[in-house]
Amino acid sequence: MTSQLVIRAEGVSKVVPTVEGELTILDGIDLEINAGEAVAIVGASGSGKTTLLGILAGLDMPSHGRVFLVDQELTSLDEEQRARVRGEQVGFVFQTFQLLRSLTALENVMLPGELRGDPEANRDALNLLEKVGLGERTGHYPTQLSGGEQQRVAIARAFASRPHVLFADEPTGNLDTSTGQRIIELLFELNDEFTTTLVLVTHDDRLASRCQRVVEIEAGRIVP
Amino acid sequence: MSLNRNLKLVLRMAWRDWRSGELGLLLIALMVAVGTVTSVSLFVDRLHQALIDESADFLAADRRIGSSNPIPEEFRIKAQARGLAIADTMSFPSMVFVGDEMNQLVSVKAVDPGYPLRGVLQVADEPFAQGVVTRDIPSRGEVWLDSRLFPALGIEPGDEIEVGLARLKVARVLTQEPDRGGSMYDLGPRLLMHIDDVPATEVVQPGSRISYRLLLRGDDSQLTALKNELPLEPNYRWQGIRESSPSIGSALSRAESFLLLGGLLGVLLAGVAVALSAHRYARRHYDHVGILKTLGATPSQIMWGYVILLLVIGTSAVLLGLLVGSALHVVIVELVRSLIPVELPMPSARPFLLGAATGFICALAFALPPLLHLKNISPMRVIRRDLGGAPPSQYLSYGAAIAGSLGLLIWYSGSLLLTAWTLLGTGLALLIFGTLATLLLRSGRVVGMQAGSGWRLALAGLQRRHKENVAQILIFGLAIMLLLILFLLRSSLLDEWQDQVPADSANHFVLNIVPEEVDPLSAMLDGVAKNQGGLFPMIRGRAVAANGIDAETWEQERRSADAPGPSLQSERNLTWATEIPEDNSLVKGEWWEPDEQRALVSLEEDYARSLGLDVGDSMEFDVGGQSIDVEVTSLRRLDWESMRPNFFIIFSPHALRDVPATYMTSFYLPREDKRFLNTLLGEFPTITVIEVDAIIAQVQSIISRVTQAIELVLVLVVASGCLVLVASIQASRDGRMSEHALIRTLGGTRKLIAGSLFAEFAVLGLFAGLVAVVGAEITVAVLQLNVFELTMNLHPWLWVVGPLVGSLLILVVGMFGARSLISTPPIIVLRGLD
Repeated sequence: MTSQLVIRAEGVSKVVPTVEGELTILDGIDLEINAGEAVAIVGASGSGKTTLLGILAGLDMPSHGRVFLVDQELTSLDEEQRARVRGEQVGFVFQTFQLLRSLTALENVMLPGELRGDPEANRDALNLLEKVGLGERTGHYPTQLSGGEQQRVAIARAFASRPHVLFADEPTGNLDTSTGQRIIELLFELNDEFTTTLVLVTHDDRLASRCQRVVEIEAGRIVP
Repeated sequence: MSLNRNLKLVLRMAWRDWRSGELGLLLIALMVAVGTVTSVSLFVDRLHQALIDESADFLAADRRIGSSNPIPEEFRIKAQARGLAIADTMSFPSMVFVGDEMNQLVSVKAVDPGYPLRGVLQVADEPFAQGVVTRDIPSRGEVWLDSRLFPALGIEPGDEIEVGLARLKVARVLTQEPDRGGSMYDLGPRLLMHIDDVPATEVVQPGSRISYRLLLRGDDSQLTALKNELPLEPNYRWQGIRESSPSIGSALSRAESFLLLGGLLGVLLAGVAVALSAHRYARRHYDHVGILKTLGATPSQIMWGYVILLLVIGTSAVLLGLLVGSALHVVIVELVRSLIPVELPMPSARPFLLGAATGFICALAFALPPLLHLKNISPMRVIRRDLGGAPPSQYLSYGAAIAGSLGLLIWYSGSLLLTAWTLLGTGLALLIFGTLATLLLRSGRVVGMQAGSGWRLALAGLQRRHKENVAQILIFGLAIMLLLILFLLRSSLLDEWQDQVPADSANHFVLNIVPEEVDPLSAMLDGVAKNQGGLFPMIRGRAVAANGIDAETWEQERRSADAPGPSLQSERNLTWATEIPEDNSLVKGEWWEPDEQRALVSLEEDYARSLGLDVGDSMEFDVGGQSIDVEVTSLRRLDWESMRPNFFIIFSPHALRDVPATYMTSFYLPREDKRFLNTLLGEFPTITVIEVDAIIAQVQSIISRVTQAIELVLVLVVASGCLVLVASIQASRDGRMSEHALIRTLGGTRKLIAGSLFAEFAVLGLFAGLVAVVGAEITVAVLQLNVFELTMNLHPWLWVVGPLVGSLLILVVGMFGARSLISTPPIIVLRGLD
């Protein structure tokens, strides 16, 4: 793997058992993503794009094929090792924000640092919340924040681990147009500042158009 | 990651969980488990100690060593070396004389200054007066006498009497002594004297019938150690309350079994509550763990995190639970102080150890499996909700819960048999409940189709959450079943006990009635005493041969020397009867016809079995030098706990009718009519009257105390059961919240939701009540037959009361637990749903 390449998928397939027999979700995906690149994965519902994102990020394992992330072959690691890779290399932003409801905004953003044992977790988290414009809301719980604000906390948390790669699953899917627009701006702004590689799954054409490359998935295959 | 850092992180997360109320229920469930067990066992432990102390009064000691030979000095030295308190007594029958005319057979007990080691003596200055407690024993040269000896001998306190060659002054009237119980035939009127005066009487000669006893008081462990150290066999008998007084012993054993059963059910219920809250906690943390994993938390970090978290929670719950349990037990003791007139001794460490162990075992066996499962949650769940969280391994969950329960139950009860029956009952009930609950839910859905909207919603909900509801019916059913079992056993045990010693059962026995006195004595008793028992002839005699083999050889070949029960060769009280006595039941053979002309005999079944005798065997008796050959034609079972004359050996009338006999009878005399004994003894100076009213009073006081303990345990178990209900409603709360929010969003009114909840809890309670009744009937029948040795009976009223109680209980607790479900605005609930 060259140093330019951050992600490489070779012949990745995902087959799951269902009551009607086996279902092929991904079928022989080959994909390479360079450092600093912003890539949008698009496709209809059920095309397999979210499953692909999960496999590229090491959240799930393919049935066949190999996946490399930064300098590691994810498919040769066990869950324990993959978790470490995620903690060190990867950040996530989700459609449903996925903040821990029992934690305040600050505590949510501190979490990756705490898991790494970073003594600066608190200061870094405060800085990031300032950056996303929530410096005044650090003590608020997720249920006390609007959808846009929750997603900003999630973005701050995603960058808290200083990731090489940021994976985003429909980051504007739950937001209205103007809030979604502000979130897009924030995401790319921070992406530039931290020189992160961005891989996102979206239905949002505006968001896809901001990326350097669009990969379209149809019935588990990349549309050439 | 270092352990230290991990611990800090876990503590921080625990604090955050606690702040959001997530850990509250688990902590409370564990705390209540510890608190319930601690308070029940503290109370039971102290009450048990008090009961043991009280019953030790029957021995006047904790244990005693008895023999017809003098107790060796070595025994005393070894007992004292172990720090045990000791006292010597000697008992023997002797004639006492006043001048040349008056004499009376008495039962002498000579004691030394340590006596009694347990219980108290009571004395009075006048015969038949109320006694007062004394710490003294008769001084040298003095004796204390039973009230009834004064009229029999025609003396007053202060007079002198002759015992053997010694002249002793009658100083006081003995009204009560602790170890008066035991075999009633040893009880002549009592003469209590100082042991140092015995040599002067010169009544102790070779061949004298003397019972030597060494009384012992001290720790159980020291007593057991001494027992193992001494060369007791074959001449010295070690006696505890169970050996010396079978009727008190068996009442105590039952009480212990019952109290243990109560505590044991409390432990099981607490375990269920802990498991429910742990499962809910784990389910609510699926997303939490998924997110943590996407952020880089490794499975081992997750696992150790939750293990440490559980230990932190467990330790806090144990500490709080011990405090709460101790406080609760103090409250209980205060509440019943007026009811329990004994001073409760300080508790041992065992209840606290048991409470703490219950907390940790509950945490590990009931709460750890679902928490451990969290490490297997896939991080993909965060973006693909449909992946859900596979439920924790059932083998692990149930295996750990069963192992944990078993361990706790066995340790708690110390009885494999009781534990096995309880678990068998529970297991059977679960099987029956599961099937029954499924059928009931299906039928409920069919009925629901035709019902109004509230009921339809409720029954559809019950059917849709079919698995959860079967589980809930099982849990509710189990809790109600346990309560019913406890209630049923409590009432049947109490009834049984009360029946055994009715308030007006015979409390006096009259012996040595010569045939000419039978009619006038009966006539005199008719006027005053109630419940006069039948008249039994009494003849002393002993067996000399069985089936042509001499008694000694027969016994040596069939019975080990230290086997319990009476020996074949010893002299016994024999009787003859036309009819089988009341309370005796025939277990084998046939009772003779009234005009039977053969010499036949009926034996008590245990006596016959221990001696290898059966129906059809022949026996030879020596009665006053006369040889009588008889055939065994029946075996009888006696009710030893009844206060009536009982005989091991009863002859057919023809066999003994011509042998000179004295008679015995029994009657009831209220305490206020005690002076009647003076008149009776004045009229018939040669008869012997034995007063057992003191023994009966003691038995009744023990029974009433045990009753209170049982009622208390019942209340505590009900409290544990309610906790299970609340935990169970909490466990289904999240699902219900979202469902109700959706219904209300679609236009359902608050009234509809309340109505459907009402219907759902009522139906759930009804079903749970029904299955509980089935389970309770089966378990109680098995327990009654096998553990408590009572007769089995069904309870038709239970089939009405069980479902009614189930519905009411679940309705009240359920509506209380679900009130926020009705009042929460739907938007709050929907916003909270991811």
